[in-house]
Amino acid sequence: MNSERIEFDAVVVGAGLAGSAAAMVMARGGLNVALIERGQKPGGKNYFGGAIYTHAIADLVPDFMDRRPPFERPVTEAGFWFLGKDGLTRMTVQGGELNADPPDAFITLRANFDPWWAEQAQAAGAFLIPKTTVVDFIREENGQVTGVLTDRPQGEIHAPVVIICEGVNNILTQKLGLIHRDLEPAQMALAFKKVISLPMETINARFGLPDDAHGLAVSVLGDVSLGLPGMGFVYTNKASVSIGLGVMLDTLAEYRLRPYDVLQRYLDHPAIAPLIKGGQLLEYGAHLIPEGGYRAMPKLATDGAMVAGDAAAMVNALHWEGTNMAIVAGKLAGETALEAHSRGDFTAKVMSRYEDRLSEGFILKDLKQYRGFSRFLETHPQFMDVYPNFVNGALGQFFTAYGKPKKELFKGMLGSLTNRRGLIKAAGDIVSMARSVMGW
Amino acid sequence: MAMKTGDAFEAKELPEEVKATLPNVYVDDLLMSLKYFIDEDKAHLRIIDQAVCARCEYKPCLYFCPVGVYTQGNDGRIQVAYQSCVECGSCRVGCPYKNIQWELPRGGFGVAYKFG
Ligand SMILES: Cc1cc2nc3c(=O)[nH]c(=O)nc-3n(C[C@H](O)[C@H](O)[C@H](O)COP(=O)(O)OP(=O)(O)OC[C@H]3O[C@@H](n4cnc5c(N)ncnc54)[C@H](O)[C@@H]3O)c2cc1C
Ligand code: SF4
Ligand code: SF4
Repeated sequence: MNSERIEFDAVVVGAGLAGSAAAMVMARGGLNVALIERGQKPGGKNYFGGAIYTHAIADLVPDFMDRRPPFERPVTEAGFWFLGKDGLTRMTVQGGELNADPPDAFITLRANFDPWWAEQAQAAGAFLIPKTTVVDFIREENGQVTGVLTDRPQGEIHAPVVIICEGVNNILTQKLGLIHRDLEPAQMALAFKKVISLPMETINARFGLPDDAHGLAVSVLGDVSLGLPGMGFVYTNKASVSIGLGVMLDTLAEYRLRPYDVLQRYLDHPAIAPLIKGGQLLEYGAHLIPEGGYRAMPKLATDGAMVAGDAAAMVNALHWEGTNMAIVAGKLAGETALEAHSRGDFTAKVMSRYEDRLSEGFILKDLKQYRGFSRFLETHPQFMDVYPNFVNGALGQFFTAYGKPKKELFKGMLGSLTNRRGLIKAAGDIVSMARSVMGW
Repeated sequence: MAMKTGDAFEAKELPEEVKATLPNVYVDDLLMSLKYFIDEDKAHLRIIDQAVCARCEYKPCLYFCPVGVYTQGNDGRIQVAYQSCVECGSCRVGCPYKNIQWELPRGGFGVAYKFG
């Protein structure tokens, strides 16, 4: 039966951002790589806001701009919007560093980007196996991973090293015992969005963009999620807008909220509705974001296997930055697999060099630095509601005349905050926010 | 402050005036925008024990699933329209009784985002 034993030098599970990066590095290093994807094609299962950072792409494909990446628009304006009950305060930057060449980030759609990203791995020689779900590992008696079992007939694929890039639902990572249970609902945000089509000129006019070589990426705080922990986002594509929000899963469960109701409430907001008026729904969807950060990470390597990307909770919860971490981690796992091949040693001893590589770069440093932030939002929901409302009220008063002396107005402004959240408490919040971000 | 599980799961209530601002969306209007390759032969989601669902006081799965896969039939049983699942994983981690057997669809099946 085993006459046609399928054998590769390395197997990658998942042709997402992390997986194709790992496959690219290993194929360039001369390995025979199987890149296994359960979707019809790469990207069909994948989801984000979103903006993708060029530093990570350029790290692997320095001439990426010449390879016609399917970007929508560069991010030329970025920042925060604070939604009040009926108002909106914008705090965005444009120009300066955002005008760098190439830009720091591009807005894109995953169903377009991921196939292109996988093609870069295929161009290097990786062998893409789509429509195939990995269901288990092949292991030796001592636990050493020596391949994977897929749901294809005679679906065994052998390889001395397996890189798991399966995304947020890290079933295989759990199966290997690298982590012993699912993340808590309080460590995950469910994010849902609509892609809404609008003529390019309409988008430019409504969002104040000169042309389609300019794009906007904002996080939206405030009256987005009923005062509960959550954050909205808006990204301008070429001829559509990606708009949605994320809410912690425990919040959705405990308050028994329907994501689509919460989304519609946000889209109906008087400051948001005019931006998307007349647009056609192209696609609705939803995906989890692992927000547990550093504390929620599994063991990253074992005998014959490594984990990268969302599967290892490598997401910066403050910025929802996961694409760059996934790509860089995939690359480092790939480099470790190359080292293992050159030494002919696939034990945990060599695999754990992956963790060393991660510690040297920004990923583990960032994740450690922000480790307090997801807990911070849990314990300080007012950051999502009271403060954005305050900003709107305060700026509204500042820029209107009212015929009152300014001193009184300022008192009124502070009053509007202190009524909702005592001033000392507010100062305390700012300190803890700073601490959670700085990782003190 | 982990979410309580099992019988200890507690629902929370929004203030009435906040709740009143929530619209009531018909989820099928959203599903029409999604593309699927439906596996007619195998359901990748399954309720492990309907008796547990019967005991589950708040049934949060009826709400948090972003595409309304879970509904309650006239007989009180939880029905699973696995065909519209977008494989987000929320019910896998969010069911307070871990009463859902959650697998990935077979290779090639399930949701196929056109934009993502
Ligand atoms: C709504 C939303 C907005 C976001 N916005 C941003 C943003 O603007 N910027 C940013 O940097 N990050 C953002 N993120 C985070 C970012 O999208 C993720 O961190 C990133 O996609 C992780 O990449 P990955 O390769 O680890 O996983 P994924 O992209 O999820 O890839 C996993 C792949 O593995 C495949 N797979 C899984 N299991 C198997 C199996 N058993 N067999 C075969 N194949 C399998 C899947 O089909 C998939 O292709 C956002 C996330 C969400 C949900
Ligand atoms: S599936 Fe889980 S959440 Fe839904 S009713 Fe059953 S036990 Fe409750
Ligand atoms: S995985 Fe997500 S979309 Fe599918 S049934 Fe569960 S909650 Fe609904």
